Amino acid sequence: MDAQLVVVVAGVILVAAIIGSLVFLRGYSGRFTYDTKNGTTPKASEGEGNTPGVAFKGRFTLLTVGIGAMFTALVTKLWSMQMVSSDYYENLAQTNQTRTVTTAAPRGRILDRNGVALVTNRASLAVTGYRDLADDTLLVRHLANVLGMPYVAVLRNIQDNTEGAQARHTIATDVRRSTVAYIQEHAGEFNGVTVDERTERQYPYGTTACHVLGYTSTITQEQLDAQSEDGDSAGTIDYQSGDVVGQAGVESRYERLLQGIRGEQTVTVDAQGNVLGQAGSVPASPGSDIKLTLDLTIQQACETGLQHAIDTAKNAGYENAGNGACLCLDCTNGEILGMASAPTFDPSVFVGGVSSDVWSQLNSEDGGRPLLNRAIGGQYMSASTIKSLSALAGLEYGTYTSTQTTVCTGYWTGNGEAWGKRCWLHSGHGTMTLQSGIAHSCDPVFYDIGNAFYYDEENPEGLQEMFRRWGLGSKTGVDLPSEGEGRVPDAAWKESYFKDWSDADRTWNPGDMTNIVIGQGDILVTPLQMATVYAGIAMGGVEYTPHVFLSAVARDGEGGDAYRYNDGKPRERLTAAIHSQDDLQLVKNGLHDVIYVAEPATAAHFNTLPVEVAGKSGTGEKTNEDEYAWFIAYAPADDPKYVVAAVLEQGGGGSSTALIAVRDVLGAIYGVEDTATGYDSSVR
Amino acid sequence: MALAATGSSAGSLKRVNKKISTSRSSFRQSMNLGVLVAWIGLLAYGSIIIWSASQSIADASFPRHLLGIGLGSALMLMVWRIDLRNLANLSTVLLVTDIVLIFLPYVPGLSWSAQGMTGWIRFPIINLTFQPVELAKLVTIAFIASLGAQYNGRIDTVRDYIKLCAMLFIPFAAVLIQGDLGSGLVVFFSGAVVIMMSGARKEWVLSTIAIVVGLVSLVLATDSIIDSIFTDDNSLIKDYQMNRLLVFIDPTSDTSDAAYNLQQSLIAVGSGGFFGKGLGNATQSTSGFLPEAHTDFVFAFVCETFGFVGAVVLLGLFALLMLSTVRVAIKQDSLFLKLVAVGIVGMWMFQIFENVGMCIGLMPITGIPLPFISFGSSSMLIQCLAIGVVQSIWRHRSKAA
Repeated sequence: MDAQLVVVVAGVILVAAIIGSLVFLRGYSGRFTYDTKNGTTPKASEGEGNTPGVAFKGRFTLLTVGIGAMFTALVTKLWSMQMVSSDYYENLAQTNQTRTVTTAAPRGRILDRNGVALVTNRASLAVTGYRDLADDTLLVRHLANVLGMPYVAVLRNIQDNTEGAQARHTIATDVRRSTVAYIQEHAGEFNGVTVDERTERQYPYGTTACHVLGYTSTITQEQLDAQSEDGDSAGTIDYQSGDVVGQAGVESRYERLLQGIRGEQTVTVDAQGNVLGQAGSVPASPGSDIKLTLDLTIQQACETGLQHAIDTAKNAGYENAGNGACLCLDCTNGEILGMASAPTFDPSVFVGGVSSDVWSQLNSEDGGRPLLNRAIGGQYMSASTIKSLSALAGLEYGTYTSTQTTVCTGYWTGNGEAWGKRCWLHSGHGTMTLQSGIAHSCDPVFYDIGNAFYYDEENPEGLQEMFRRWGLGSKTGVDLPSEGEGRVPDAAWKESYFKDWSDADRTWNPGDMTNIVIGQGDILVTPLQMATVYAGIAMGGVEYTPHVFLSAVARDGEGGDAYRYNDGKPRERLTAAIHSQDDLQLVKNGLHDVIYVAEPATAAHFNTLPVEVAGKSGTGEKTNEDEYAWFIAYAPADDPKYVVAAVLEQGGGGSSTALIAVRDVLGAIYGVEDTATGYDSSVR
Repeated sequence: MALAATGSSAGSLKRVNKKISTSRSSFRQSMNLGVLVAWIGLLAYGSIIIWSASQSIADASFPRHLLGIGLGSALMLMVWRIDLRNLANLSTVLLVTDIVLIFLPYVPGLSWSAQGMTGWIRFPIINLTFQPVELAKLVTIAFIASLGAQYNGRIDTVRDYIKLCAMLFIPFAAVLIQGDLGSGLVVFFSGAVVIMMSGARKEWVLSTIAIVVGLVSLVLATDSIIDSIFTDDNSLIKDYQMNRLLVFIDPTSDTSDAAYNLQQSLIAVGSGGFFGKGLGNATQSTSGFLPEAHTDFVFAFVCETFGFVGAVVLLGLFALLMLSTVRVAIKQDSLFLKLVAVGIVGMWMFQIFENVGMCIGLMPITGIPLPFISFGSSSMLIQCLAIGVVQSIWRHRSKAA
């Protein structure tokens, strides 16, 4: 309103001025005649004729009009700039003299379920200065000496272009306290040098839980681009180049909770960009601390147990052993208590930027790709651990009954002599029922099941249906990035997967069925998927979504939970329909017998535990590689709580190596060390 | 005649009044009040601005500005007393003086360069610096006026007109050779105004303008060709001059110095608003964003500090000065002095329009000072000298008196 009024007033003044000047013009000519009439001045002094006088009058009018036009043009332009568009220029003038610089906010810490910090922040003293510091050569040399850095390096850091011109530039980080003290004591000599307290990620337990925790590093250009494509949806953090963000694991998945909100400082500057003063500031607010479901004791047991198993395998002659995964799940709610993957990496190498050498080494196949979390991203053939589900499928669809028997001679010819298949025990198990078939992991029993499914007209894919019913072939939904999906092969999959093969070669045949029924061939599962399946078996069909996030700690400092995973309730992933409780009980009995009946050497490991355990071993066979060892167990068998699963790539037989890791984890949970050293390498 | 006929009683009363008014206006007889008021007003205005600028700009020395005003006033009073009529017969002397002045900065021992521009001289011993081209502007006006006055108010032949134009071309070309395009344009424009007022025919003037426009575009075209073949050293127009022209056409075209200067000037002017930001609050000018805020871009400083009101007041003072000078010219009987006054008006017209226009984006950027306001003693002295000339013309306006 005010501005409009002023514009109107100014317009009136302008019109008045133009009219005034016109009147002034007329007045001139009038007075000219008045004077001549009075006779004080001769009408024309130049010569005899009066033409020059008349001509001059016209010329002066023209000149006066010229002057008037000139001033009108100038005033009009001024009016349009100062009255009409003054707000536009006012904004430009404002942005001219203020710059906004940001201050980093510390990331939230990551704690285990008992509040033990797994990732924390360490203070790092950084020496910083504005860019104009570089003009003072003497000061820069002095500073270089004090910091013990080369002069050119100091100069380069001060003139660094990646940071904003008005931001303080980092000259050195992790500066010793004594050095900082010296600089602060001699503040007069180091005019313009400031010491900033920064925070860097610190890992008190080294590589412990590195795959779950993930790592942080400077935001990549791709991530920045992705952000700008997403647009500015409410509540998201506005990242800038140079921000440190989570790149894997929990750091990446819960980035929004961990990342703080950066502070802003508005400074006034002059034309050279020198900072003149502070105009206002918003303090940085640190990210939330989050609690994980991990229990440090169990986590460490998973890691040492896995390493123990790998060492055992190596000692037994499996020299390629070294990669694997071991995890522990609470089957009553899906909480992941421990999750280990080998080989590991040190997340602290990413602090302050990772060199390209280290990066390529971390991603190389030769180095075992340590960044891969094999517990959720490693996809393996399930081996005999899947026989529990095969048994349930056989019982439900009637391809095998609880009283049926198979005579194992070590060589199964159920589909004709030409298609004979071996049992892993070449000498044969003798007469086997379904329960003892599970206990001894007798293959011919399951060959019969698979074969029967193939020829079953009603449910030729009943086996795959059972696998999928328990969650295989789909992600578990764990709250960690890069989870593997696994694969449940069937006729349609085979036909589309092997596109280049002839029709005959990609036809689904009985051999495919007898392969997947014992967990060999094209079936793929992740250790977490199998652990979830066994959690479901233990819980009577209910599988909870596995998760590592427990709660976000409130920022009030009292340690209360601001936000809990699914409001503190377990999230149900699926409930597998159980055909008959008898079927399930038969399988459970079989799993009990695996531990305590089938082999005394296995029983010796678990007899020392105060609770009863049920479990299953598995040994995956891959051409040109040593066997993949599996072992999954849950305890207590009568009131299940813990599910432990372990996989060793090229680690030999499941009962001999993977079992070691599982037993170590259970030993840590129940406080009983494994004293048995023997194992039977022939049991799978 | 009409007044005389009103009656004797009115006549006697008028005689008494005339006596009083004569004593009261004896000062007004010798000093034109409009010019005087405008001059003092401009000096006061300029002093406030330069004082304000001196608070934040190291180069702007307020005492030196006052010294310039003092010297200029003395010069003005001196010239005021002299009857300049006799200069009309000294056209050759004026031309020689003009050329000497223009090339004075090349004399060894006198030349002195500032901000990469030659064109300054420094008097030995007293160490005073001066830009002779400022004085050359006035001399050129006198020179062309002395020639134009010979035609008695009407140029009859094209030959004479071309001769006049050729005479103007001599000092104009000399200033250009010396490298000061801005001053050259001032010389050209004020001389052209004098020639027009001398009685050149409209058709001639219009065709001359057409030729000039044609020549300028030819020069620009040739320059770009030469630039593409040779290096910039050989070109007719310096790169910075070309840039200024390009930037004028599109202020946001690039971020080079020329564009930056113009952009900052526009921001300073526009952000001033109606009443301005007040003394000392002009962030654009005092924080160094606006370059040359106390010299070439002083008008932008005025606009930012005092807003639209301040700018209109300043332009009003200039208008008063120029219109009063036109009145002085009208009242003067001597054709020579008439033309000199008109030439001075022409000089102000061009300098003010160019300087103000440059600050608000109406004209390309050239380094011409704003009379009486810009910091700089050379300009101040010569502008005060011009006032002295105008007042002298007023004082000696009537041969009979």
